[in-house]
Amino acid sequence: MLTAQGFSKAFEYWQLFLQGVACTVSLSALTVIFGFILALFLAVCRMGKMKVLKALATAYVELFRATPMVVQIFIIFYVVFDGVKVLPGFKLFGFIRFERFFPAVVALSLNSGAYLSEIIRSGIQSIDGGQTEAARSLGLNAWKTMRFVVLPQAIKNILPAIANEFVTIIKESAICYTIGVQDIMSAVNAVKGATYRMGEALIIATALYFCLTYPTSKIIAHFERKMSVGDKR
Amino acid sequence: MTNDKLIQVKDLKKYYNKGKIKALDGVTVDINKGDVMVIIGPSGSGKSTFLRSLNLLEVPTSGSIIFEGVDITQKKGPDGKKLDIDLHRQKMGMVFQHFNLFPHKTILENMTLAPIRVKKVPEEEAKAKALELLNRVGLADRADAYPIQLSGGQKQRVAIVRALAMEPDVMLFDEPTSALDPEMVGEVLDVMKELAHAGMTMAVVTHEMGFAREVGNRVLFMADGKLLEEGSPEQIFGSPQNPRLQDFLSKVL
Repeated sequence: MLTAQGFSKAFEYWQLFLQGVACTVSLSALTVIFGFILALFLAVCRMGKMKVLKALATAYVELFRATPMVVQIFIIFYVVFDGVKVLPGFKLFGFIRFERFFPAVVALSLNSGAYLSEIIRSGIQSIDGGQTEAARSLGLNAWKTMRFVVLPQAIKNILPAIANEFVTIIKESAICYTIGVQDIMSAVNAVKGATYRMGEALIIATALYFCLTYPTSKIIAHFERKMSVGDKR
Repeated sequence: MTNDKLIQVKDLKKYYNKGKIKALDGVTVDINKGDVMVIIGPSGSGKSTFLRSLNLLEVPTSGSIIFEGVDITQKKGPDGKKLDIDLHRQKMGMVFQHFNLFPHKTILENMTLAPIRVKKVPEEEAKAKALELLNRVGLADRADAYPIQLSGGQKQRVAIVRALAMEPDVMLFDEPTSALDPEMVGEVLDVMKELAHAGMTMAVVTHEMGFAREVGNRVLFMADGKLLEEGSPEQIFGSPQNPRLQDFLSKVL
Protein backbone atom coordinates (compact mmCIF):
# COMPACT_ATOMS: atom_id res chain seq x y z
CA MET A 1 0.00 0.00 0.00
CA LEU A 2 1.17 3.49 -0.85
CA THR A 3 0.70 6.00 1.94
CA ALA A 4 1.26 9.73 2.32
CA GLN A 5 3.47 8.94 5.26
CA GLY A 6 5.50 6.58 3.10
CA PHE A 7 6.01 9.31 0.53
CA SER A 8 7.10 11.86 3.08
CA LYS A 9 9.53 9.31 4.45
CA ALA A 10 10.88 8.56 1.00
CA PHE A 11 11.21 12.29 0.30
CA GLU A 12 13.50 12.56 3.27
CA TYR A 13 16.04 10.89 1.01
CA TRP A 14 15.61 13.49 -1.77
CA GLN A 15 19.33 14.04 -1.87
CA LEU A 16 19.88 10.40 -2.87
CA PHE A 17 17.32 10.73 -5.65
CA LEU A 18 18.93 13.95 -6.83
CA GLN A 19 22.31 12.27 -6.95
CA GLY A 20 20.66 9.35 -8.73
CA VAL A 21 19.30 11.68 -11.40
CA ALA A 22 22.72 13.29 -11.87
CA CYS A 23 24.25 9.85 -12.14
CA THR A 24 21.68 8.53 -14.61
CA VAL A 25 21.95 11.66 -16.75
CA SER A 26 25.74 11.61 -16.92
CA LEU A 27 25.75 7.86 -17.51
CA SER A 28 23.27 8.21 -20.39
CA ALA A 29 24.94 11.27 -21.88
CA LEU A 30 28.35 9.63 -21.95
CA THR A 31 26.82 6.47 -23.38
CA VAL A 32 25.12 8.44 -26.15
CA ILE A 33 28.41 10.15 -27.07
CA PHE A 34 30.66 7.07 -26.97
CA GLY A 35 27.95 4.81 -28.36
CA PHE A 36 27.42 7.11 -31.32
CA ILE A 37 31.14 7.34 -32.12
CA LEU A 38 31.44 3.56 -31.90
CA ALA A 39 28.32 3.18 -34.03
CA LEU A 40 29.67 5.46 -36.78
CA PHE A 41 32.88 3.44 -36.81
CA LEU A 42 31.00 0.13 -36.93
CA ALA A 43 28.67 1.37 -39.67
CA VAL A 44 31.61 2.53 -41.78
CA CYS A 45 33.32 -0.84 -41.28
CA ARG A 46 30.21 -2.75 -42.28
CA MET A 47 29.69 -0.71 -45.43
CA GLY A 48 33.35 -0.57 -46.39
CA LYS A 49 35.32 -2.72 -48.79
CA MET A 50 37.70 -4.34 -46.29
CA LYS A 51 36.35 -7.84 -45.77
CA VAL A 52 38.07 -8.46 -42.43
CA LEU A 53 36.74 -5.27 -40.87
CA LYS A 54 33.33 -6.00 -42.31
CA ALA A 55 33.24 -9.49 -40.78
CA LEU A 56 34.50 -8.29 -37.41
CA ALA A 57 32.00 -5.44 -37.23
CA THR A 58 29.15 -7.73 -38.26
CA ALA A 59 30.14 -10.33 -35.66
CA TYR A 60 30.34 -7.61 -33.02
CA VAL A 61 26.91 -6.22 -33.81
CA GLU A 62 25.27 -9.64 -33.91
CA LEU A 63 26.89 -10.71 -30.63
CA PHE A 64 25.85 -7.63 -28.70
CA ARG A 65 22.34 -7.66 -30.06
CA ALA A 66 21.83 -11.34 -29.27
CA THR A 67 22.91 -11.38 -25.63
CA PRO A 68 21.24 -9.88 -22.54
CA MET A 69 22.38 -6.50 -21.32
CA VAL A 70 22.81 -7.76 -17.76
CA VAL A 71 25.24 -10.46 -18.92
CA GLN A 72 27.26 -7.91 -20.88
CA ILE A 73 27.45 -5.51 -17.96
CA PHE A 74 28.52 -8.29 -15.55
CA ILE A 75 31.22 -9.46 -17.95
CA ILE A 76 32.56 -5.94 -18.33
CA PHE A 77 32.46 -5.22 -14.61
CA TYR A 78 33.45 -8.54 -13.03
CA VAL A 79 35.66 -10.00 -15.76
CA VAL A 80 37.15 -7.19 -17.83
CA PHE A 81 37.66 -4.75 -14.96
CA ASP A 82 37.94 -7.54 -12.35
CA GLY A 83 35.38 -5.97 -10.04
CA VAL A 84 36.70 -2.82 -8.41
CA LYS A 85 40.33 -3.92 -8.38
CA VAL A 86 41.59 -2.39 -11.63
CA LEU A 87 40.26 1.15 -11.68
CA PRO A 88 41.24 3.89 -9.22
CA GLY A 89 38.57 4.43 -6.58
CA PHE A 90 37.74 8.15 -6.61
CA LYS A 91 34.44 9.98 -6.72
CA LEU A 92 33.07 12.11 -9.53
CA PHE A 93 31.18 15.24 -8.32
CA GLY A 94 31.93 13.94 -4.82
CA PHE A 95 29.46 11.04 -4.90
CA ILE A 96 29.70 8.95 -8.13
CA ARG A 97 32.08 6.06 -7.54
CA PHE A 98 34.29 6.03 -10.63
CA GLU A 99 35.36 2.39 -10.37
CA ARG A 100 31.72 1.34 -10.80
CA PHE A 101 30.55 4.18 -12.99
CA PHE A 102 33.19 3.73 -15.67
CA PRO A 103 32.55 0.02 -16.40
CA ALA A 104 28.85 0.89 -16.67
CA VAL A 105 29.59 3.58 -19.29
CA VAL A 106 31.75 1.09 -21.19
CA ALA A 107 29.14 -1.67 -21.12
CA LEU A 108 26.25 0.61 -22.10
CA SER A 109 28.28 2.23 -24.89
CA LEU A 110 29.35 -1.10 -26.34
CA ASN A 111 25.74 -2.25 -26.30
CA SER A 112 24.10 0.86 -27.73
CA GLY A 113 26.89 1.21 -30.29
CA ALA A 114 25.77 -2.08 -31.80
CA TYR A 115 22.15 -0.95 -32.05
CA LEU A 116 22.95 2.57 -33.24
CA SER A 117 25.30 1.28 -35.93
CA GLU A 118 22.47 -0.67 -37.51
CA ILE A 119 20.26 2.43 -37.45
CA ILE A 120 22.99 4.57 -39.00
CA ARG A 121 23.81 1.95 -41.62
CA SER A 122 20.20 1.62 -42.74
CA GLY A 123 19.90 5.41 -42.80
CA ILE A 124 22.92 5.83 -45.03
CA GLN A 125 21.87 3.01 -47.32
CA SER A 126 18.40 4.47 -47.68
CA ILE A 127 19.85 7.48 -49.52
CA ASP A 128 19.61 7.11 -53.29
CA GLY A 129 22.92 6.22 -54.94
CA GLY A 130 22.35 9.06 -57.40
CA GLN A 131 23.07 11.53 -54.60
CA THR A 132 26.55 10.11 -54.13
CA GLU A 133 27.12 9.98 -57.88
CA ALA A 134 26.08 13.60 -58.30
CA ALA A 135 28.34 14.71 -55.46
CA ARG A 136 31.31 12.70 -56.70
CA SER A 137 30.83 13.93 -60.25
CA LEU A 138 31.09 17.48 -58.92
CA GLY A 139 34.50 16.61 -57.51
CA LEU A 140 33.59 16.11 -53.85
CA ASN A 141 35.68 13.38 -52.28
CA ALA A 142 34.15 10.44 -50.41
CA TRP A 143 34.30 12.14 -47.02
CA LYS A 144 32.83 15.45 -48.20
CA THR A 145 30.10 13.56 -50.03
CA MET A 146 29.26 11.80 -46.79
CA ARG A 147 29.40 14.96 -44.70
CA PHE A 148 27.54 17.43 -46.92
CA VAL A 149 25.22 15.24 -48.97
CA VAL A 150 24.55 11.78 -47.53
CA LEU A 151 24.72 12.20 -43.73
CA PRO A 152 22.44 15.26 -43.48
CA GLN A 153 19.74 13.38 -45.37
CA ALA A 154 20.40 10.08 -43.59
CA ILE A 155 20.30 11.60 -40.10
CA LYS A 156 17.01 13.30 -40.90
CA ASN A 157 15.55 9.94 -41.89
CA ILE A 158 16.79 8.07 -38.84
CA LEU A 159 16.16 10.74 -36.22
CA PRO A 160 13.03 9.01 -34.85
CA ALA A 161 14.95 5.74 -34.49
CA ILE A 162 17.87 7.54 -32.83
CA ALA A 163 15.50 9.28 -30.42
CA ASN A 164 14.07 5.90 -29.56
CA GLU A 165 17.55 4.54 -28.89
CA PHE A 166 18.45 7.52 -26.68
CA VAL A 167 15.32 6.96 -24.61
CA THR A 168 16.18 3.27 -24.43
CA ILE A 169 19.65 4.11 -23.13
CA ILE A 170 18.20 6.20 -20.29
CA LYS A 171 15.86 3.38 -19.35
CA GLU A 172 18.39 0.55 -19.76
CA SER A 173 20.89 2.43 -17.60
CA ALA A 174 18.73 1.43 -14.62
CA ILE A 175 20.33 -1.99 -14.80
CA CYS A 176 23.62 -0.47 -13.70
CA TYR A 177 22.54 -0.40 -10.07
CA THR A 178 23.31 -4.14 -10.08
CA ILE A 179 27.02 -3.34 -10.17
CA GLY A 180 26.70 -0.63 -7.56
CA VAL A 181 26.33 2.48 -9.70
CA GLN A 182 24.39 5.06 -7.67
CA ASP A 183 21.75 5.89 -10.21
CA ILE A 184 18.03 6.45 -9.62
CA MET A 185 17.34 2.73 -9.09
CA SER A 186 20.09 2.54 -6.52
CA ALA A 187 18.39 5.38 -4.62
CA VAL A 188 15.23 3.27 -4.57
CA ASN A 189 17.22 0.41 -3.13
CA ALA A 190 18.75 2.59 -0.47
CA VAL A 191 15.35 3.93 0.58
CA LYS A 192 14.02 0.39 0.75
CA GLY A 193 16.91 -0.62 3.01
CA ALA A 194 16.37 2.33 5.33
CA THR A 195 12.55 2.41 5.53
CA TYR A 196 11.50 -1.15 4.65
CA ARG A 197 9.17 0.37 2.06
CA MET A 198 9.67 0.26 -1.72
CA GLY A 199 6.41 1.35 -3.39
CA GLU A 200 6.71 5.08 -2.80
CA ALA A 201 10.36 5.13 -3.85
CA LEU A 202 9.47 3.26 -7.05
CA ILE A 203 6.75 5.78 -7.86
CA ILE A 204 9.25 8.60 -7.41
CA ALA A 205 11.74 6.75 -9.61
CA THR A 206 9.07 6.25 -12.26
CA ALA A 207 8.29 9.97 -12.27
CA LEU A 208 11.98 10.85 -12.48
CA TYR A 209 12.65 8.50 -15.40
CA PHE A 210 9.62 9.85 -17.23
CA CYS A 211 10.82 13.41 -16.69
CA LEU A 212 14.12 12.44 -18.32
CA THR A 213 12.84 10.41 -21.28
CA TYR A 214 9.80 12.42 -22.33
CA PRO A 215 11.61 15.74 -22.93
CA THR A 216 14.40 13.86 -24.72
CA SER A 217 12.04 12.50 -27.33
CA LYS A 218 10.26 15.86 -27.60
CA ILE A 219 13.51 17.75 -28.17
CA ILE A 220 14.53 15.37 -30.94
CA ALA A 221 11.08 15.60 -32.51
CA HIS A 222 11.61 19.36 -32.64
CA PHE A 223 14.86 18.94 -34.59
CA GLU A 224 13.13 16.46 -36.85
CA ARG A 225 10.58 19.11 -37.84
CA LYS A 226 13.31 21.66 -38.41
CA MET A 227 15.29 19.34 -40.65
CA SER A 228 12.39 18.25 -42.83
CA VAL A 229 12.29 21.68 -44.45
CA GLY A 230 13.21 20.35 -47.90
CA ASP A 231 10.32 17.90 -47.90
CA LYS A 232 7.50 20.40 -48.12
CA ARG A 233 6.14 21.85 -51.26
CA MET B 1 49.04 14.06 -79.17
CA THR B 2 47.39 17.05 -80.68
CA ASN B 3 45.94 19.66 -78.45
CA ASP B 4 42.39 19.46 -79.63
CA LYS B 5 41.89 15.93 -78.31
CA LEU B 6 40.21 16.41 -74.95
CA ILE B 7 39.45 12.78 -74.15
CA GLN B 8 41.00 9.74 -75.78
CA VAL B 9 39.27 6.46 -75.03
CA LYS B 10 41.22 3.34 -75.93
CA ASP B 11 39.81 -0.16 -76.05
CA LEU B 12 37.52 0.44 -73.09
CA LYS B 13 35.98 -2.71 -71.60
CA LYS B 14 33.58 -3.22 -68.76
CA TYR B 15 32.70 -6.78 -67.82
CA TYR B 16 30.30 -8.05 -65.20
CA ASN B 17 30.08 -11.54 -63.76
CA LYS B 18 33.65 -12.38 -64.73
CA GLY B 19 33.15 -11.58 -68.38
CA LYS B 20 29.75 -13.17 -68.88
CA ILE B 21 28.17 -9.78 -69.39
CA LYS B 22 30.07 -7.40 -71.59
CA ALA B 23 28.61 -3.96 -71.00
CA LEU B 24 31.47 -2.37 -72.91
CA ASP B 25 33.42 -4.50 -75.32
CA GLY B 26 36.35 -2.51 -76.60
CA VAL B 27 35.33 1.07 -77.34
CA THR B 28 37.90 3.39 -78.88
CA VAL B 29 37.05 6.99 -79.63
CA ASP B 30 38.48 10.49 -79.32
CA ILE B 31 36.49 13.45 -78.11
CA ASN B 32 37.83 16.71 -79.45
CA LYS B 33 37.48 20.15 -77.98
CA GLY B 34 34.21 21.72 -79.06
CA ASP B 35 32.68 18.41 -80.09
CA VAL B 36 29.02 17.81 -79.50
CA MET B 37 29.11 14.07 -79.58
CA VAL B 38 25.76 12.34 -79.44
CA ILE B 39 25.63 8.66 -78.52
CA ILE B 40 22.61 6.71 -79.66
CA GLY B 41 21.65 3.06 -79.53
CA PRO B 42 19.10 0.60 -78.20
CA SER B 43 18.72 0.21 -74.43
CA GLY B 44 21.33 -2.09 -72.97
CA SER B 45 23.78 -1.14 -75.68
CA GLY B 46 26.28 0.19 -73.14
CA LYS B 47 25.98 3.85 -74.05
CA SER B 48 25.25 4.96 -70.47
CA THR B 49 28.01 2.70 -69.14
CA PHE B 50 30.36 4.31 -71.65
CA LEU B 51 29.44 7.82 -70.57
CA ARG B 52 29.64 6.96 -66.87
CA SER B 53 33.06 5.43 -67.43
CA LEU B 54 34.43 8.71 -68.70
CA ASN B 55 34.48 10.16 -65.18
CA LEU B 56 34.94 6.76 -63.57
CA LEU B 57 31.52 6.51 -61.97
CA GLU B 58 31.84 3.09 -63.56
CA VAL B 59 35.31 1.70 -63.16
CA PRO B 60 36.26 0.00 -66.44
CA THR B 61 37.63 -3.53 -66.44
CA SER B 62 40.38 -2.57 -68.88
CA GLY B 63 41.32 0.07 -71.39
CA SER B 64 42.38 3.63 -70.86
CA ILE B 65 40.79 7.05 -70.69
CA ILE B 66 43.22 9.88 -71.34
CA PHE B 67 41.67 13.13 -70.19
CA GLU B 68 43.68 16.29 -70.84
CA GLY B 69 46.80 14.20 -71.21
CA VAL B 70 46.38 12.10 -68.07
CA ASP B 71 45.31 8.46 -68.07
CA ILE B 72 42.71 8.59 -65.32
CA THR B 73 42.24 4.81 -65.21
CA GLN B 74 45.69 4.47 -63.65
CA LYS B 75 46.24 4.38 -59.89
CA LYS B 76 49.16 6.75 -60.19
CA GLY B 77 49.29 10.10 -61.95
CA PRO B 78 52.09 11.25 -64.25
CA ASP B 79 53.90 12.77 -61.27
CA GLY B 80 54.14 9.33 -59.66
CA LYS B 81 51.76 10.26 -56.85
CA LYS B 82 48.35 8.69 -56.28
CA LEU B 83 46.00 9.89 -59.00
CA ASP B 84 43.39 12.24 -57.57
CA ILE B 85 40.25 11.43 -59.52
CA ASP B 86 38.31 14.18 -57.71
CA LEU B 87 40.57 16.73 -59.37
CA HIS B 88 39.71 15.43 -62.83
CA ARG B 89 36.03 15.07 -62.06
CA GLN B 90 35.88 18.79 -61.32
CA LYS B 91 36.69 19.33 -64.98
CA MET B 92 33.91 17.00 -66.17
CA GLY B 93 30.39 18.16 -65.48
CA MET B 94 27.75 15.46 -65.41
CA VAL B 95 23.99 15.63 -65.82
CA PHE B 96 21.87 12.63 -64.86
CA GLN B 97 18.58 11.23 -66.05
CA HIS B 98 17.04 11.69 -62.61
CA PHE B 99 18.61 15.12 -61.96
CA ASN B 100 20.04 14.06 -58.58
CA LEU B 101 19.69 17.47 -57.00
CA PHE B 102 20.36 17.52 -53.27
CA PRO B 103 16.88 17.70 -51.73
CA HIS B 104 18.03 19.12 -48.38
CA LYS B 105 19.65 22.14 -49.99
CA THR B 106 18.18 25.14 -51.76
CA ILE B 107 18.82 25.62 -55.46
CA LEU B 108 21.54 28.15 -54.67
CA GLU B 109 23.13 25.83 -52.09
CA ASN B 110 23.03 22.98 -54.59
CA MET B 111 25.03 25.13 -56.96
CA THR B 112 27.53 26.60 -54.50
CA LEU B 113 28.32 23.43 -52.52
CA ALA B 114 31.08 22.12 -54.77
CA PRO B 115 32.62 25.50 -55.68
CA ILE B 116 32.83 26.46 -51.98
CA ARG B 117 33.83 23.09 -50.52
CA VAL B 118 36.03 21.78 -53.30
CA LYS B 119 37.40 24.76 -55.18
CA LYS B 120 37.41 26.98 -52.08
CA VAL B 121 35.73 29.84 -53.93
CA PRO B 122 34.67 32.57 -51.46
CA GLU B 123 30.98 32.20 -50.61
CA GLU B 124 29.89 35.58 -52.00
CA GLU B 125 31.69 34.95 -55.26
CA ALA B 126 30.18 31.48 -55.59
CA LYS B 127 26.70 32.85 -54.94
CA ALA B 128 27.09 35.64 -57.48
CA LYS B 129 28.29 33.18 -60.09
CA ALA B 130 25.44 30.77 -59.32
CA LEU B 131 22.87 33.55 -59.65
CA GLU B 132 24.36 34.59 -62.96
CA LEU B 133 24.07 31.00 -64.21
CA LEU B 134 20.52 30.70 -62.91
CA ASN B 135 19.70 33.88 -64.72
CA ARG B 136 21.00 32.33 -67.92
CA VAL B 137 18.46 29.52 -67.66
CA GLY B 138 15.68 31.79 -66.45
CA LEU B 139 15.52 30.47 -62.90
CA ALA B 140 17.08 33.27 -60.87
CA ASP B 141 13.82 33.79 -59.00
CA ARG B 142 13.93 30.19 -57.71
CA ALA B 143 17.34 30.48 -56.06
CA ASP B 144 15.96 30.01 -52.55
CA ALA B 145 13.48 27.28 -53.43
CA TYR B 146 14.06 23.62 -52.63
CA PRO B 147 14.32 21.07 -55.45
CA ILE B 148 10.96 19.52 -54.58
CA GLN B 149 9.26 22.84 -55.39
CA LEU B 150 10.51 22.74 -58.99
CA SER B 151 9.13 21.00 -62.07
CA GLY B 152 11.17 18.28 -63.76
CA GLY B 153 12.35 20.58 -66.51
CA GLN B 154 13.38 23.23 -64.00
CA LYS B 155 15.24 20.62 -61.94
CA GLN B 156 17.22 19.49 -64.95
CA ARG B 157 18.08 23.06 -65.90
CA VAL B 158 19.36 23.56 -62.36
CA ALA B 159 21.34 20.31 -62.59
CA ILE B 160 22.99 21.58 -65.76
CA VAL B 161 24.01 24.92 -64.26
CA ARG B 162 25.09 23.18 -61.05
CA ALA B 163 27.61 21.27 -63.14
CA LEU B 164 28.55 24.45 -65.04
CA ALA B 165 29.27 26.25 -61.76
CA MET B 166 32.45 24.16 -61.51
CA GLU B 167 33.55 25.53 -64.91
CA PRO B 168 34.13 22.13 -66.48
CA ASP B 169 35.96 21.53 -69.75
CA VAL B 170 33.46 18.92 -70.88
CA MET B 171 29.84 18.18 -70.05
CA LEU B 172 28.49 14.63 -69.94
CA PHE B 173 24.73 14.16 -70.32
CA ASP B 174 23.24 10.79 -69.41
CA GLU B 175 19.77 10.71 -70.99
CA PRO B 176 18.97 14.19 -69.66
CA THR B 177 15.42 14.31 -71.00
CA SER B 178 14.30 10.70 -70.52
CA ALA B 179 12.65 11.26 -67.15
CA LEU B 180 10.83 14.43 -68.21
CA ASP B 181 7.24 15.01 -69.18
CA PRO B 182 7.09 15.65 -72.93
CA GLU B 183 6.25 19.32 -72.60
CA MET B 184 9.38 19.92 -70.54
CA VAL B 185 11.85 18.28 -72.92
CA GLY B 186 12.14 21.39 -75.06
CA GLU B 187 13.25 23.74 -72.30
CA VAL B 188 16.10 21.42 -71.34
CA LEU B 189 17.19 20.83 -74.93
CA ASP B 190 17.19 24.59 -75.48
CA VAL B 191 19.66 25.04 -72.63
CA MET B 192 21.85 22.29 -74.07
CA LYS B 193 21.66 23.82 -77.51
CA GLU B 194 22.74 27.18 -76.19
CA LEU B 195 25.61 25.49 -74.38
CA ALA B 196 26.72 23.77 -77.57
CA HIS B 197 26.63 27.02 -79.49
CA ALA B 198 28.74 28.63 -76.79
CA GLY B 199 31.44 26.11 -77.66
CA MET B 200 31.16 23.67 -74.76
CA THR B 201 32.50 20.18 -75.42
CA MET B 202 29.64 17.78 -74.84
CA ALA B 203 28.99 14.05 -74.84
CA VAL B 204 25.29 13.30 -74.85
CA VAL B 205 23.51 9.98 -74.48
CA THR B 206 19.98 10.54 -75.69
CA HIS B 207 16.95 9.23 -77.49
CA GLU B 208 16.21 12.67 -78.91
CA MET B 209 17.09 12.09 -82.55
CA GLY B 210 16.06 15.63 -83.43
CA PHE B 211 18.69 16.97 -81.04
CA ALA B 212 21.32 14.58 -82.40
CA ARG B 213 20.63 15.73 -85.93
CA GLU B 214 20.37 19.41 -85.25
CA VAL B 215 22.99 20.05 -82.57
CA GLY B 216 25.46 17.18 -82.74
CA ASN B 217 28.53 17.38 -84.94
CA ARG B 218 29.27 13.68 -84.44
CA VAL B 219 26.93 10.79 -83.83
CA LEU B 220 28.01 7.46 -82.37
CA PHE B 221 25.90 4.35 -82.66
CA MET B 222 26.43 1.67 -80.03
CA ALA B 223 25.03 -1.82 -79.65
CA ASP B 224 26.08 -4.79 -77.50
CA GLY B 225 28.82 -2.76 -75.86
CA LYS B 226 30.48 -1.98 -79.18
CA LEU B 227 30.83 1.17 -81.19
CA LEU B 228 29.31 0.05 -84.48
CA GLU B 229 29.16 3.24 -86.49
CA GLU B 230 30.32 6.79 -86.26
CA GLY B 231 29.80 9.78 -88.45
CA SER B 232 28.27 13.14 -88.98
CA PRO B 233 24.52 13.41 -88.38
CA GLU B 234 24.01 13.51 -92.15
CA GLN B 235 25.88 10.24 -92.60
CA ILE B 236 24.28 8.45 -89.67
CA PHE B 237 20.72 9.51 -90.38
CA GLY B 238 21.05 9.97 -94.16
CA SER B 239 22.97 6.89 -95.21
CA PRO B 240 23.42 4.44 -92.34
CA GLN B 241 25.71 1.52 -93.22
CA ASN B 242 25.47 -0.99 -90.39
CA PRO B 243 22.30 -3.14 -90.57
CA ARG B 244 21.85 -2.78 -86.78
CA LEU B 245 21.82 0.98 -87.17
CA GLN B 246 19.39 0.79 -90.09
CA ASP B 247 17.13 -1.41 -88.02
CA PHE B 248 17.41 0.91 -84.99
CA LEU B 249 16.64 4.02 -87.01
CA SER B 250 13.65 2.38 -88.69
CA LYS B 251 12.20 1.87 -85.21
CA VAL B 252 12.85 5.26 -83.68
CA LEU B 253 12.35 7.65 -86.59
